[in-house]
Amino acid sequence: MATTIEVRDLRKRYGRTLAVDRLSFTVGAGRVTGFVGPNGAGKSTTMRMILGLDAPDGGAALVGGRRYAALRTPLCEVGALLDAGAIHPSRRARDHLLWMAHSNGIPRRRVDTVLAMVGLESAARRRGGGFSLGMRQRLGIAAALLGDPPVLMFDEPVNGLDPEGIHWMRGLLRRLADEGRVVFVSSHLMSELEGSADHLIVIGRGRLIADTSVAQLLAAASLDLVVLRTVQRSEAMTALASHGATVAAIDRETVTVRGLPADRIAALLTERALPFTELAPHRASLEEAYMDLTRDAVEFSAPDTPDASPVATEA
Amino acid sequence: MSQPTGRSGVEQTNRSTADQTDRDAADQTDRDAADRTDRGTESGYRDAQPSYRTTVRNPRDGFGHLLRAEWTKLRSVRSSVRCLLATILLTVLVTPLISASSSTNANEAPHFTDQFTFVHQPMAGDGTVVARVSSQLNSQEWARAGLMIKQNTTAGSPYAAIMVTPRHGVRLQANFDTDIPGPDLGAPRWLRLTRSGAVITGSESTDGTTWHAVGTVRVGALAPTAEIGMFVASPPVLRVTKTSGGSSTSLVLSLGAATFDHVTIQPNAPQQFPGWSELMLNGGAGTKGGPPANVPTDGDGPFTAGDGPFTVHGAGDVAGYGIPSFPVGDDDIVVNSLSGVQLGLLAVIALGVLFAAGEYKTGMIRTTFAATPRRRRVLGAKAIVVGVAVFVAGLVASLTAFYIAQPVLRRNGYQPPAYPHPTLADGTVLRAVVGTALFLAVLAVFSLSVGVILKRSARAIALVVGLVLVPQIVASLVPSLGVANWINRLTPTAGLAIQHTRPRFDYAIAPWGGFAVLCGYAAVALVVAIWLVRRRDA
Amino acid sequence: MTSAAAMRMEWTKLRTVPSTAWSIVALIALTVATGSLLMWSLGTTHCASHCEQDMPQLSLSGVYLAQLAIVVLAALAITSEYDTMMIRTTLAARPRRLTVLGAKAAVVTATVLVTSAIAVVATFVVGRGIPVDGYLPLSLADEATRRAYFGTVAYLGLIALFSVGVGALVRHTAGAITTMIALLYVAPIIAQLVSDERWRHRIEKYAPMSSGLAIQATTHLDRLPIRPWYGLGVLAAYAAAALLLGAVAFLVRDA
Repeated sequence: MATTIEVRDLRKRYGRTLAVDRLSFTVGAGRVTGFVGPNGAGKSTTMRMILGLDAPDGGAALVGGRRYAALRTPLCEVGALLDAGAIHPSRRARDHLLWMAHSNGIPRRRVDTVLAMVGLESAARRRGGGFSLGMRQRLGIAAALLGDPPVLMFDEPVNGLDPEGIHWMRGLLRRLADEGRVVFVSSHLMSELEGSADHLIVIGRGRLIADTSVAQLLAAASLDLVVLRTVQRSEAMTALASHGATVAAIDRETVTVRGLPADRIAALLTERALPFTELAPHRASLEEAYMDLTRDAVEFSAPDTPDASPVATEA
Repeated sequence: MSQPTGRSGVEQTNRSTADQTDRDAADQTDRDAADRTDRGTESGYRDAQPSYRTTVRNPRDGFGHLLRAEWTKLRSVRSSVRCLLATILLTVLVTPLISASSSTNANEAPHFTDQFTFVHQPMAGDGTVVARVSSQLNSQEWARAGLMIKQNTTAGSPYAAIMVTPRHGVRLQANFDTDIPGPDLGAPRWLRLTRSGAVITGSESTDGTTWHAVGTVRVGALAPTAEIGMFVASPPVLRVTKTSGGSSTSLVLSLGAATFDHVTIQPNAPQQFPGWSELMLNGGAGTKGGPPANVPTDGDGPFTAGDGPFTVHGAGDVAGYGIPSFPVGDDDIVVNSLSGVQLGLLAVIALGVLFAAGEYKTGMIRTTFAATPRRRRVLGAKAIVVGVAVFVAGLVASLTAFYIAQPVLRRNGYQPPAYPHPTLADGTVLRAVVGTALFLAVLAVFSLSVGVILKRSARAIALVVGLVLVPQIVASLVPSLGVANWINRLTPTAGLAIQHTRPRFDYAIAPWGGFAVLCGYAAVALVVAIWLVRRRDA
Repeated sequence: MTSAAAMRMEWTKLRTVPSTAWSIVALIALTVATGSLLMWSLGTTHCASHCEQDMPQLSLSGVYLAQLAIVVLAALAITSEYDTMMIRTTLAARPRRLTVLGAKAAVVTATVLVTSAIAVVATFVVGRGIPVDGYLPLSLADEATRRAYFGTVAYLGLIALFSVGVGALVRHTAGAITTMIALLYVAPIIAQLVSDERWRHRIEKYAPMSSGLAIQATTHLDRLPIRPWYGLGVLAAYAAAALLLGAVAFLVRDA
């Protein structure tokens, strides 16, 4: 059985809002898959439907080829961190994990193992109510790891973590993926995933915008974007625009140019005797690539942009 | 979009460092990793990502595990533990207060009633008296008509009597404490009373020829010459008056009447009989108001007409403790000692509601249903865990309260013979004590279900209290006893009927019947809750 | 000025949570429905010679149930802020805690008083329409009846204050509501079970609910455990004590 999360044609409506709209994607094992979209895009709803918590209005969400509700010991097949705050304030951290372990017949010593893995051994006897947000996140991750499952889902896991915690989290995600697990991590900030995600599923307004590897996304976004620094900004912009380039001002001396290769720009500027201090092909950040994608989705909400058609990466 | 693969080398080193903290797990992990690598090489897929498999050895989803999980949840939250302790403490602490403020003077009153109409004459030595009760007015279920032999005509003197009653058949009774039931048949009926020294034998017959002995009683202090004859009595009827804030009872006179014929006296020693004379005896408990008025004297007496027929009217009762019609103490002292549960049940309601609503408030319900997607089982396990936990706490509470209350009640006058000491060996007392714990357990399940349905603790607690506690108060205010009884029958309060150990005028429903009403509420709420959680997004 | 702003803030918070509307509807519905049903259920068969019944009291007996809605409303006004940690936002906006608590109590009580007045008037109007042959019909011409109706509104207002105090003291929703319910209902139930008349009177005299509801009695005033206005005074004392303790706790404890 392949270890995957598979979402097929998933739909969910809350009253008049379509939270998830015919969403299809597959999350493969062995890599960190980021699940990105603006707030309210339907990420958490999708994750809840994968976990069988919310019933889809249409379509199916399968884990390892099966519906979540059909799993008998789900904690050993899917680990999830949905809401780190979802702990009883007066229950000790260890007891929180203990009841979960009991419910799936997981040995008691596993509780201490996962507490150690997330660095909460010393807080095991403390009550959840006194935990900082970061500690709650760690406890939630411990709960997800409790059954040592091949599939892991984390909803906004770095929320509330300090820089050291974020570093630790990235290492953990990488390690878990390298072990051959499915690691599915949602975030509304692309920057949080920079450097840890291998693959991205981007959604907006409940629809799939992109299902792509990080490398491809960056390549696509960086394509033919050139940064130009010049003291005669407006003249340069006029000149370039008249040759069909899309020019955007960034600050008083900097513009980005799209649609013309760097050598052609240099030639044009030299032709008009416009001085420039810098001319370089731009390497986009993941954040910019993402902003590009979602801006399109929000402005046109186009159902048939090439990116919106789901691309199955792996069976 | 092919996926970068072939990280197996990194994978293994990383795994062992990650799991180093637990040697066993690490061993297991290594084995597993090796296992997977083997399979990978075997099948020849170097490219395919090996599927990760959990290192947890044989996880199970048995219902027992679910119960354990829910029990861990219950015991690991301070408020639940406090609620369980509060159930015990509140129940027990309020018990002495209720007991100490209840008292009775039932034992100060005479322990018998001797009030009836006696048509009698003296008989010396042994002999037999026979008569047929041809008809009897059904004035009260325990109305009596029959033959009596009595030491003398002083109220309270020893006697033996054979009689028919409208609802309780033929009885042979003696000395205000002995009651021997005969066949469950009423008038018309032949009755016979035979004296042989101190031993009196009572018999009954359908036709006056074939006789069946009902029994034999010994009337110790019977004088050589005793009064024999016909008697009629009819105990007063209990009338309940509803007042605002409670109800009061009063006893209303009932007038009995019976017709006797074929009356014969056969003394062993020949003697002269003076003829019948009629007397209304009036002595013992409940007769302070003087002789009952309105009892017609039958003819001008002495009765002269041979063997009858004689019609005799009478009011009152010939009874004492040990004879069923005699009213024993009115208070249900078992209920009194277990009433602390009315306070304790608040903690049970809070516990049941919080056990469900708490999960909704914190959002933990999602973790619960993610761990066990079969939601019906989760709710079943929750109900069993909270029910059993509350039952155990409730049993501790009700046993403690019962034993704390007894000496206090005894000091306040609740003593034999009006109030026999209740013991757990008595089935009804045991039912009350164990039933109190059962009541709390089912109430906990009801509260849990309402908590699931409403999701919010505030509303759920208010609703359950509104259904369980407030109707009792409203019922006491209602001017009509009928409406009050229906309130006590139809609300979950009815479950408290399981504490009842004796019949009382204001008990609206039978013990198990009342308990069944509560169980009905809990069952309906649980079914609705299950239906909702399976339908509702968590 | 500042307290007016605080009250506006509290009023906004109160009216924007759905549980407030629910409580208000429940308060009115339970008061009117219970009282009317009980009056409607009156029969004359049990009357010996003439029917005697404290009709205003009977028509107002819905408050036994309806006050639960007030307990929920008033306790939640405080405790829900602790549940959601909004209390920190509130106290950040209004650092003067006593003003906050006072504004809360004032807004909740005012809401309850207005709602109760509507409920009580509705009860009277509906009660007048129910035929009660053989009983005295409801009439505001009677001074005791006026006192019963007016006093019931005051009673419910005091219950609101009492609940706010307990809420500030206990802070936890379920705990506060259970405590309030215990304080209100347990004493009357125990009083019913006590067979000794003197003890019963003693309990009813000092328990907040039974003393406070003496205000509803219009007949047999000599048999009451406590005189009507004095009884309301006992309840007011409870409410004041709870508010005082709640205020001290509110000032001393960390949010």
